[in-house]
Amino acid sequence: MIPSVLREASASARSQPVASSITVLVLIAMIVAVMLTTGRTVGAEQQVLGSIDSVDTRSIKLRAEAGSGLTSSVLERLASIEGIEWAGGFSTAVDATNAAIPGGTRVPVRYFYGTHIERLGVPTDPAIPDTSAWASPAALEQLGLPDQSGGISLNTGDSFSLVGSMEVPDFLAGLEPVVLVPRQHSTGTESIGLLIVIAERPDLVAPVSAAVLSILDADDPSKINVQTSATLAQLRSLIEGQLGSFSRGLILALLALTGLLVAVLLYGLVMMRRKDFGRRRALGATRGLIIGLLLTQTALLAGIGIVIGIIASMIILLASGDPWPGAGFTTALATLALTTALTAALLPAIVASSREPIRELRVP
Amino acid sequence: MNDIVLEARDVTFGYVPDRPVVENWSAEFPAGTMTALTGPSGRGKSTLLYLLGLMLRPSAGQVFVSGRTCGDLSDTKRARLRAHSYGFVFQDSALDATRTVLDNVTETALYRGLPRSKVTSQAQELLERFGVDVPVLRKPGQVSGGQAQRIALCRALLNDPVIVLADEPTGNLDAGTAETVVAAMRERARAGAAVIVVTHSLDVATLCDREIRL
Repeated sequence: MIPSVLREASASARSQPVASSITVLVLIAMIVAVMLTTGRTVGAEQQVLGSIDSVDTRSIKLRAEAGSGLTSSVLERLASIEGIEWAGGFSTAVDATNAAIPGGTRVPVRYFYGTHIERLGVPTDPAIPDTSAWASPAALEQLGLPDQSGGISLNTGDSFSLVGSMEVPDFLAGLEPVVLVPRQHSTGTESIGLLIVIAERPDLVAPVSAAVLSILDADDPSKINVQTSATLAQLRSLIEGQLGSFSRGLILALLALTGLLVAVLLYGLVMMRRKDFGRRRALGATRGLIIGLLLTQTALLAGIGIVIGIIASMIILLASGDPWPGAGFTTALATLALTTALTAALLPAIVASSREPIRELRVP
Repeated sequence: MNDIVLEARDVTFGYVPDRPVVENWSAEFPAGTMTALTGPSGRGKSTLLYLLGLMLRPSAGQVFVSGRTCGDLSDTKRARLRAHSYGFVFQDSALDATRTVLDNVTETALYRGLPRSKVTSQAQELLERFGVDVPVLRKPGQVSGGQAQRIALCRALLNDPVIVLADEPTGNLDAGTAETVVAAMRERARAGAAVIVVTHSLDVATLCDREIRL
């Protein structure tokens, strides 16, 4: 039955090329209008929000001066706080030189305490734990180790094997040149010079920051300086709210216009073809079938219009270099457009199904 | 005695309250019989046909199909009964001008829940039998009035219906085409259907098995 209805609806649509073409054009115009206005705005909004949502803007940096008493034990306590994506502790910097060049350029080396060291651009499974170091390209250049391997000597007398290069994440950019020695076996008593906490979302930066400060357990909290991006988080919610409300209003207006046009078109079509619907009723078509046929016909035409509209919008946005609003927005728009077209078609379909055969077929 | 396929019992109907077009009208239509409904204009012949065709509901009385009353059937069930048991020939052929000849003949398959492919060969046989010598993909607007009425006849007979209702089927036709149309309906009656023809034509009435004058 469904294939027969689809075939009949498709044949009906093809047999009324003018009305069908206008319906498709209305849907194309609606989709293109939304995509090039609201869609473009949404794309830009997503770009701005994506930038705000980057890790760097979700980071909380706590710099501990000497004597603050902040130790690596804080990392265990951080595990009990909700809303934290990642946290890591860094010791204060210790100068180091290339072991093969005594008196060479000094670069700062830090010990790292924490888990998920891959977030620092370091392999998760170091070959020799606690004795290997990784350096950023800038640090490698200063150390004179272009091959990314060699020994480094710290001014504390310790030495480590430098085994690879690391990509410095944005939130560590301020530490460049970076040389890290991951410490997998922490006693909890090691001094921390820098604690970095990354919140799961920008809006969590402020509450997470407050929670972190409450569990520092430092000897002298006044020697700990906190740096957050809470202002950016506020800016984010402001942008999202303002753009969202503008977009919703525009989409609703365009959908209402599309619905009205489709309803008028179909109503006109039904009135022009009332004899046709009277004949169908006489020959045994149920009201439900006639409604189903008209709605299927509308769905087919709307579907064609939506697909063409989306493709046309993609081409225009691509050509103009504007951002694509994304699959979620596009799918939602397509669903809304289809629902609007079907809702608009419902009344004309009911009118069509109510045509009385005797009124339409009798010849005076 | 032939089975009564269609029966009207004390049927009353009016388009305006208290002004019945049909009043307390009763008749039985046996299988295998072709009946002419005749009478002057305005006596309710076409209205009776639409009452018998379950497209109008009588204000009083009952219509029975194969012994079963149709008064309590929902609109949907009446439509399905029309699709499965009736064949209709209208005064002006009532073809869909936007569709092909073959689409028009096979239209009722959809209403009976059949795929078009199952009735296409039967439709082509009917078109050939009734002398519709135009390409099946042509539109009704491109054929003569006589050919159009033959196409409408093919549509009515596609279903092998047990009831055929025809409203002035030969009104606008030349003698040859009219003869073909009447012969086809007689043939359907001989095959066991109850055929009812509303007509002003004495010739058509004469060819029927019986005549009911209104």
